[in-house]
Amino acid sequence: MISEIFNIQFMHPSAYYIIGGLLIPLFKGRFKQGYMLLLSILAFFAVVNMPHGVYGVYEFLSWELTFGNVDKLSKVFAYIFTIMGVIGVIYSFHVKNDGEHLSSFYYIGGSLGVTLAGDFLTLFLFWEIMAFSSVFLVWYRKIPSSVDSGFRYLLWHVIGGLILFSGIMIQYSVSDDLSIQYLPFHGWWPTDIQSLASFLILIGFIVNAAVPPFGAWLPDAYPAATVTGAVFMSAFTTKTAVYALIRVCAGSEILIFLGVVMAIYGVVYAVLENDARRLLAYHIISQVGYMVAGTGLGTQMAINGVVAHAFCHILYKSLLFMGTGSVLYVTGTAKLSELGGLYKTMPRTMIYTIIGGLAISAFPLFSGFVSKSMTVAAFGEEHIMWAFIGLMLASAGTFLHTGLKVPYFIWFGKDQGIKAHEPPWNMELAMIIGSIFCIGLGIFYKPLYALLPYPVHFEPYTAYHTWETLQILLFTQLGFFLLLKKLWCEDTISMDTDWFPRKGAKAFMWFVNKPLASFEYNFIGEVYEFIVQKPILRVAKWFKWIDTVIVDRTFSEIANLTLRWSRILQTIQSGQIQHYAMIMVAGVITLIVIVIILP
Amino acid sequence: MNLIDILEKLRTKTVKKLAYGILVLLVAADFIIPRHEIHFFGDKVPGFWSLFGFISCVLIIVVSKWLGHHWLMRDEDYYDK
Repeated sequence: MISEIFNIQFMHPSAYYIIGGLLIPLFKGRFKQGYMLLLSILAFFAVVNMPHGVYGVYEFLSWELTFGNVDKLSKVFAYIFTIMGVIGVIYSFHVKNDGEHLSSFYYIGGSLGVTLAGDFLTLFLFWEIMAFSSVFLVWYRKIPSSVDSGFRYLLWHVIGGLILFSGIMIQYSVSDDLSIQYLPFHGWWPTDIQSLASFLILIGFIVNAAVPPFGAWLPDAYPAATVTGAVFMSAFTTKTAVYALIRVCAGSEILIFLGVVMAIYGVVYAVLENDARRLLAYHIISQVGYMVAGTGLGTQMAINGVVAHAFCHILYKSLLFMGTGSVLYVTGTAKLSELGGLYKTMPRTMIYTIIGGLAISAFPLFSGFVSKSMTVAAFGEEHIMWAFIGLMLASAGTFLHTGLKVPYFIWFGKDQGIKAHEPPWNMELAMIIGSIFCIGLGIFYKPLYALLPYPVHFEPYTAYHTWETLQILLFTQLGFFLLLKKLWCEDTISMDTDWFPRKGAKAFMWFVNKPLASFEYNFIGEVYEFIVQKPILRVAKWFKWIDTVIVDRTFSEIANLTLRWSRILQTIQSGQIQHYAMIMVAGVITLIVIVIILP
Repeated sequence: MNLIDILEKLRTKTVKKLAYGILVLLVAADFIIPRHEIHFFGDKVPGFWSLFGFISCVLIIVVSKWLGHHWLMRDEDYYDK
């Protein structure tokens, strides 16, 4: 729209979020809500109007920065990010804290920037904007545990960012080219300098994709974030990383293995989890596992499946986070062991959450069905059966938790008699929009398939495939109700790979405080005093003598001299203007005389 | 009738029986469903995916809970100690 008015060919959608977002604090009440909604809708239309091509190229020092690289792949991700922007903005209308709005706007702007970046430096710049803006969505929860989680979140991302940056630098030194290109990594370990660059870039990306063992930041930070913050976070970081992986690392075989492990790992942890939002966070890991595995396979069908799945995933996962977030907002807890019986007070929220649960479980007629099945079928086509079976197993687990466990323990289960009500209108509206997308994409999937990077030759609704899915899902449901007693939630947390940094930090602090401190005090301190302090004191004494006897006395003599001269000069200072004028004239005359005589 | 009443009605024995009926129907119908994308032996066996779904569910619950109780699960203040 704005691009048409000013006749600009390309308008970067991040501009609305990053520059437009700055003005949010100037508005109040309804105007603030309207302004935020307007920005997010303008950003969406900026994506709609983006023609394919390369735009926004700037010279910076000796490098070329490309801000707008538009093709089918970047455009479909930009579409879903801006759609999610609109939904998330509506969901967070009621938030009073401008800082929270600003951080989510910068976060969205950052992920759009990564998506459209044409070179690694620009990508890295927006990559870091994402990390540093999203951490505030954790910190604004303003409870001690979220402050800690935020710092750990930031540490993981800073380390991941540094690894990515070192990969980029090695790539630059090898090829003298910073443009984003296809750099797949083959094998398990780097063998030469070029594969080292690919390897480090891959590691940098998979830290953000929450691939174990680097994924512990996700279930740590997301449930610690604010109600609205978690909705944004569930959508952007991992999916931006998936986009980057598709663009740079598609076909790296190691990703197939990591993806399948990830899909099952998330499911295992979800069984143990008591916090509904952390359970969903583990299911992000599981779902991103499908995407990572599909990216590793790298065939056209697999990439199409991954992109479609990322698109649908953002919508249903945010819907699930909105549903459980509403429960947290209204009741003050998201722990399954403290909830139950809410179907009497929050039935509409229940329906939205179940729609999200059915969509993530890939139930026929819901969005997950048309996207997840494409990724899994791509493995069938290539006859990689262990991955195929592994992903099928994980889909049973997905339905088990998000489709059954979460709704059952929040809305049915043991009635805890909690006083609750439906959330504010804006939260509900956002959930309605999300639900419409989850069902709509499951039925009218052709428009989505048309956006995918490659031509689609896949039909999700074949008789056998529908039947296969229904059998898996409904027999999972049977297993759930038979084993319901075993699934009762326990008040625990589960150790994850963040055990190493967390306990490691404790061990490090103990080492610093106990052995290192006493060693420093008792041994190094003594040695230091003998070898360094005492000789220095002796030298200092000698300098002091020089200082007092020679330097000081010189200065005081100069001062005395000046004083004597001033007294003489004082006699000239009569205070009468004519005397000064006379002296000035005398001076000028003297000067002229000197000038005339001297040459 | 409002939403809450419908939900109350759904929690009856009849619904349970209906659910079991659907499961039986699912397996029975799998004998006549046409198969076109056969990737491995499981695609030829009628009712394979029913069994797969059920076993997956049981395996996931039992194995995860075993891992949890023997290794992964800790008290909520585990990291603060």
